[in-house]
Amino acid sequence: MPAQKNPGSYRDPRGYVFHYDGAILRTILPSAKADYESIRDKGIIAESIEEGFLVDTEELDKCSIPASLTDATYIVRHFKIPLISYPYEWSFYQLKEAALHHLKFQMFLLERDAVLRDASAYNIQFIGSRPVFIDLLSIAPYKEGDYWLAHSQFCEQFLNPLLLRALKGFTHNGWFRGNLDGIYTRDLAKILSLKDKMSWNVFSQVTLQAYLEAAALKKPNKATSQAQSRKPFPRKAYSGFLTQLYNWINKLEPKDTGKTVWGEYASDNTYLNEEADKKRLIVQLFAEEHKFDKLIDLGCNTGDYSIVVLNSGVKFVVGYDFDSKAVDQAFLRSQKQGLNFLPLYLDAANPSPNQGWRQAERLGFQERNMADGIIALAFIHHLAIAKNIPLDQIVNWITYIAPRGLIEFVPKSDITVGKMLALREDIFSDYSEENFIKILSSKVNIISSQLISSSGRKIFEYSSI
Amino acid sequence: MGLQIKFIVAIMILALWVTPAYAYLDPGTGSILLQGILAGIAAVITTISLYWEKIKPFFSKSGNTPKDRM
Repeated sequence: MPAQKNPGSYRDPRGYVFHYDGAILRTILPSAKADYESIRDKGIIAESIEEGFLVDTEELDKCSIPASLTDATYIVRHFKIPLISYPYEWSFYQLKEAALHHLKFQMFLLERDAVLRDASAYNIQFIGSRPVFIDLLSIAPYKEGDYWLAHSQFCEQFLNPLLLRALKGFTHNGWFRGNLDGIYTRDLAKILSLKDKMSWNVFSQVTLQAYLEAAALKKPNKATSQAQSRKPFPRKAYSGFLTQLYNWINKLEPKDTGKTVWGEYASDNTYLNEEADKKRLIVQLFAEEHKFDKLIDLGCNTGDYSIVVLNSGVKFVVGYDFDSKAVDQAFLRSQKQGLNFLPLYLDAANPSPNQGWRQAERLGFQERNMADGIIALAFIHHLAIAKNIPLDQIVNWITYIAPRGLIEFVPKSDITVGKMLALREDIFSDYSEENFIKILSSKVNIISSQLISSSGRKIFEYSSI
Repeated sequence: MGLQIKFIVAIMILALWVTPAYAYLDPGTGSILLQGILAGIAAVITTISLYWEKIKPFFSKSGNTPKDRM
């Protein structure tokens, strides 16, 4: 089978990413030869991998190069990231971690006379909660006097989305998904208050930059000639610039939601009663029996059950939740405990689509999220009742993702569903346990059903194998 | 009247003609100019602090800080 070019890999004409026989390969074309050799021969690639900045990468010897890729000067094989995720699916702390990783990598490279050509947030991926840089060809040699050419992109893809939450309390996800470039500095500048702009960092990085951008647009020729006749940017200024941004971003926290509040938030969502213990045991036994390589936890909240399955032999868990604060908390937990748990933001009624160039650059939820196992605990009523999605479509969707899973059914008699229906007409005559069983058994085999609460909540185990 | 309309149309055509020129401008120009300014400010601060280091012994010799003198 010939190597398949990754549809998202088209921006840099000096090399492309290919999928070949289950592996991720990158071509280094003749135009990138000199830069690549200089970086490699100085040991920068090897050191970057060793320090955890760059994804594991090895150069293939000539004889193992696939026949369809022989125009390349070199081919490298990258470690395959367990799940490609995008910045618009990340929580605040995850984006912050990615931003800090990018800056730390830049500082590391600058000391070795190298820089990153761009500052695309998509070039950072997560293995569990650990960020890695994936684009080898972004590493370029540094010359004394060079400016940080990717600075404006760094602002759009990292800094501005973080500031949106830190200064205004809005999550970046929707905006970023709408504009894959991130949040333009000129747009952010328009929504900041005078008080926000009183900080030197905000003033210089947002207000002043937006002003200079606007002035450049008004008099493009003057700005271009000014920029072309610029004085060299001293190395000290470059590294000082990176350090200042690092220190600032490191201190950013979501507005009005300090860690203490979230601590309480987590404990509010932890059920320490008998019913929760029962639920935990069911999840644990399910995970222990199947020891999945990859499990998806729909409605993961702060990650309680994701952690249960990880402790029960599951190798990797991707958690999804609609509640940004819960995903933030889950990410911090995964990071603190060094778990192979990747919590992401998802509105299940409107999952990430195929988008970008030719609608193939960034893949949708469905294209990336197939798993061996799935758990959807206290989840489906949010789609069925709050979003009016027919029960059979929900069951179809979940059972399509994984061949084995646990689905909790919360009946109308339960207080949670009662609250959801309190202020609206009950148009959900199909929403009953009887109908749920009918639908589920028509698609897959029901292995078991276990009552977990006095209100009638039940967990169903299914298998389509 | 006719002349006025012609004038407005001419302006509109000119506006249409001018707009694409902006699109050719690298959006990073603002960032480059910003880095130039920040590097300039850093250089000024460094120069002032170097001078300050030179001037400081003069004040400490006299036993007065600039604040005291004011």
